[in-house]
Amino acid sequence: MTHIIRGVSIAAILAGLAVTAQAQDFAGVTLEAKLIGGQQYEALYARIAEWEAATGAKVNVISKKNHFELDKEFKSDIAAGTTSWCVGSNHSSFASQYPSLYTDLTPLIPAEEVAAYVGANIAAATLDGKLVMLPRAQFDVSALYYQKSLYEDADKAAAFKAEYGYDLAVPTTWDQVRDQAVFFADPPNFYGTQYAGKDEAIVGRFYELVVANGGALFNDDFSPAFNSDAGKQSLQWFVDLYAAGAVPAGTTNYLWDDLGNGFASGTVALNLDWPGWAGFFNDPAASKVAGNLGVAPAPMGSAGVRTGWSGFHGFSVTEDCANKDAAASLVLFLTNEDSQILESAAGPLPTRTAVWDHVVAEAASDPFRSEVLAAFQETAKTAFAVPPTPLWIEATNLIYPELQAAILGDKSVDEALQTASDAVDELMREEGVY
Amino acid sequence: MASNQSHRMRRRGLKIAHFIGLFLAMSVICIPGLWIVLNSFRPTVEIMAKPPVWIPNDLNLDHYRAMFGAVGEGGVPVLTYFRNSLIISVTSTVIAILIGMAGGYAFARYRFKGKAAIFIALMVTRAVPGVALSLPLFIIYARVGLIDTHIGMIVTYVAMNVPFTIWLIDGFFRQVPRELAEAAEIDGCTRWQAFWRVEFPVARSGIASAGIFAFLTSWNEYALASQLTRSVTSKTMPVGLLDFTSEFTLNWGGMCALAVLMIIPALVLTFLVQKHLIAGLTFGGVKG
Amino acid sequence: MKLGKFPPWLALLMPAIVLLAAVVLVPLVLSFYSSFTSYKLTKPDTLYNWIGTFNYQKAAGDIYFWTAFGRTVLLLTVALNLEMVLGLGLALMVSKVTRGQRLLRTMMMFPMMFSPILVGFQFKFIFNDNVGLVNNTLQSLGLTTTAIPWLVDAHLAMFSIISAEIWTSTSVFAILILAGLYAMPQDPLEAAKVDGCTPLQSFRFVTLPFLMPFIYIAMAIRSLDVARAYDIVQIMTNGGPARRTELLWTLIGRTGYVDAKMGYANAMGYISILLAIFFTVYFFRKLTAARAELGMAL
Repeated sequence: MTHIIRGVSIAAILAGLAVTAQAQDFAGVTLEAKLIGGQQYEALYARIAEWEAATGAKVNVISKKNHFELDKEFKSDIAAGTTSWCVGSNHSSFASQYPSLYTDLTPLIPAEEVAAYVGANIAAATLDGKLVMLPRAQFDVSALYYQKSLYEDADKAAAFKAEYGYDLAVPTTWDQVRDQAVFFADPPNFYGTQYAGKDEAIVGRFYELVVANGGALFNDDFSPAFNSDAGKQSLQWFVDLYAAGAVPAGTTNYLWDDLGNGFASGTVALNLDWPGWAGFFNDPAASKVAGNLGVAPAPMGSAGVRTGWSGFHGFSVTEDCANKDAAASLVLFLTNEDSQILESAAGPLPTRTAVWDHVVAEAASDPFRSEVLAAFQETAKTAFAVPPTPLWIEATNLIYPELQAAILGDKSVDEALQTASDAVDELMREEGVY
Repeated sequence: MASNQSHRMRRRGLKIAHFIGLFLAMSVICIPGLWIVLNSFRPTVEIMAKPPVWIPNDLNLDHYRAMFGAVGEGGVPVLTYFRNSLIISVTSTVIAILIGMAGGYAFARYRFKGKAAIFIALMVTRAVPGVALSLPLFIIYARVGLIDTHIGMIVTYVAMNVPFTIWLIDGFFRQVPRELAEAAEIDGCTRWQAFWRVEFPVARSGIASAGIFAFLTSWNEYALASQLTRSVTSKTMPVGLLDFTSEFTLNWGGMCALAVLMIIPALVLTFLVQKHLIAGLTFGGVKG
Repeated sequence: MKLGKFPPWLALLMPAIVLLAAVVLVPLVLSFYSSFTSYKLTKPDTLYNWIGTFNYQKAAGDIYFWTAFGRTVLLLTVALNLEMVLGLGLALMVSKVTRGQRLLRTMMMFPMMFSPILVGFQFKFIFNDNVGLVNNTLQSLGLTTTAIPWLVDAHLAMFSIISAEIWTSTSVFAILILAGLYAMPQDPLEAAKVDGCTPLQSFRFVTLPFLMPFIYIAMAIRSLDVARAYDIVQIMTNGGPARRTELLWTLIGRTGYVDAKMGYANAMGYISILLAIFFTVYFFRKLTAARAELGMAL
């Protein structure tokens, strides 16, 4: 009997050595985890068994939901005080909302491990000096997808030059995107571009454009700063496209899935979208633009800055976890090189420097994949995360209805931004931010 | 003669109008539903096509195959969700009926002070918006360990359905003449026996109709289930629909395939009991 | 059955009362309390921060809240009445059919099999302006050359939501009214015919009064159940764009969970519970009156 047990544990140790050099023994420990659910994330979760074998611990996934439902559950957990589970999926846009829930990973993870992640990601995962999550290979920044054939048509090129005075080429600035979108549009059969029109999504798009136009969403004390020339210029961009019929009339009700399906239907010329869609768009069974798909880095605003609103998924360890070491070991395992290589093989972008190199080398023989990676890598260089305030989501809920009102013509750009700015200011004061 | 003919013409006109009206109404009712069934057999590129593809040229079982496939390759634990849904819906319906029978009997057979007020108070509990309820319910359930359990969901759905079952069953017992039960008691039955032998059989179809309403409510409920369940231990099918969404994507074809699996049992059940349902509603709610 | 000191009616009602107290009343007391605090989900300590009626005052002075309140009343009024009329028409047509009634009745109840969350997605896609079923149909038939923004236009967006709501719920009316038609005694109708009433007159003066209790029951059931529409609206438009379809449920849900301001959300919730109670009591009264008119004892 002891013989068998010894045999098993030796096997486990050997397996552990094979997986990661630092695998420790956590025999008898059971970790409860709440993970983001979705088919594309499952491949990684299949690896949990390896970690269990290596450490002797057990992982019990007690919740699997999409992120919006998970967010609701985390908030309910904080309210109910039921936060003794250990590992939770996290997202950079949501992380600042749970200041009390997650522990600082700095003392739990060796510094040289932390250094192996992309610096900008670690910076965005650090809130108030606490490293609240380790990023997984689900890094999101948007690049410009376009239909190649539109730029290979000599008649179109000539007509465009006659009308706008410069050559028709894949746009590098947002002003060019506006010109070309208006030029390509032929509603209701074809649209120049489209944008996410509600919730955090449109505020994120507005935010990156404000930055690209040389402005800022918030001042350093988190008072609103978007009621500025850069802000007006940015909102005007959305308004102009809508007024010209260059975007689908329903765009103010679109979220990411509508945008992706719209572009895949072949009825949209230019589409700023996430890396996860590259495979879908180029799959003939799912998309009409397959084979006709180009990807370029995100265009620049009037200040010569690229748009680059970014976010990433990660894993966190709760403050109330009884076995923080084991939990941190699992989180590290799920975001280590092997895990990131596995996840990024399906398309998403990694958050470890070494894995970036690996992915780029892998794609060398595949021109489409190389084009995609080059475009996203270029955009990622200057990417920036959401403003680090716990009130980010709440502020977006005050801003987006006003942006919509301006786009739909209910209010002027000036009025809309004034109202939104006043509302955010009131929120910040009410919450005692300043 | 002439008037007879015009009369016949008018009857015929009415008949045609009736047929057309019925056909249009049924089309409006069925097309959005059948559209879902159709989408579950079509590749995504055809569902979202523009210009639209009216005549499907590629029908296949891919979405179903993927759904039943391995986790990580598009698989969703449908069978587990189905089992959870079935256990929770059936059990909560049965309990709601039992409690509803007791309550309905009390309202139908006894006189007491504040009867109308108690009745309305019970009904109003149904009108409380889920949002006001879901968080405190989560906190209580989390404290007593009912989160993500069948029992927690069953208790919730019973509470949701009891007001309506009481109402329907109450009306039903009213139409059983009091004398009938009294006569049985004189014949030596206890009140309990009299209930089962005399009153219950008459009320049976009322109970069936209350049952189908309760079942459909539990089977389709989403808002509370999404809050009180969280893993395969208790997730129901409506919550499972959201497995086809993630941060940026939504697999509409897959969602339709799961939807079809949800609709079929409900449809079969309804078809089987709808005769009772009609008869039950006829007397249940109104007479008394 | 020995039931101790309890009167038997109370013993019989006990399970229902205990259950509803536990699952509905206790949570309600909790959320009622929290509506007087600055409760924020992400800061549990704020549950003990008593701020009196501040949340209620804030809601009372909030133009967005009252707009949503008014819009919810409008939606309920329009949707319930249309469902009633359409349900009545549908039931009348089905009751006149001689063959295949069983199949027709099941078809009539088809939408009841659809979970509201599914209906939300379904109608969001059907009303999509670019690749949606409705616009595709209209454009293919040559009825329009533009992409109609069903979910965005100020009037069409409410229309789309109401259509989805009507599609799911007309069945409930139809089935209840159909039950009423079956239960209807034939003698008064015969008598009306003998007296020379036109079909329209006998419908107006004989059939309809008999059906009224059934209609009120359906109204009451539906008004109890309308919060189901939350799932539909949340998926279809989530109150947008530019607050054009904001209803109490979307506003409260967003404030409570996304903004985490549970105290304030609960205050708004309590004001809107009054609305729900009003509708329920109103239809219950109507039902009692209609029953009395038909000589039925309550």
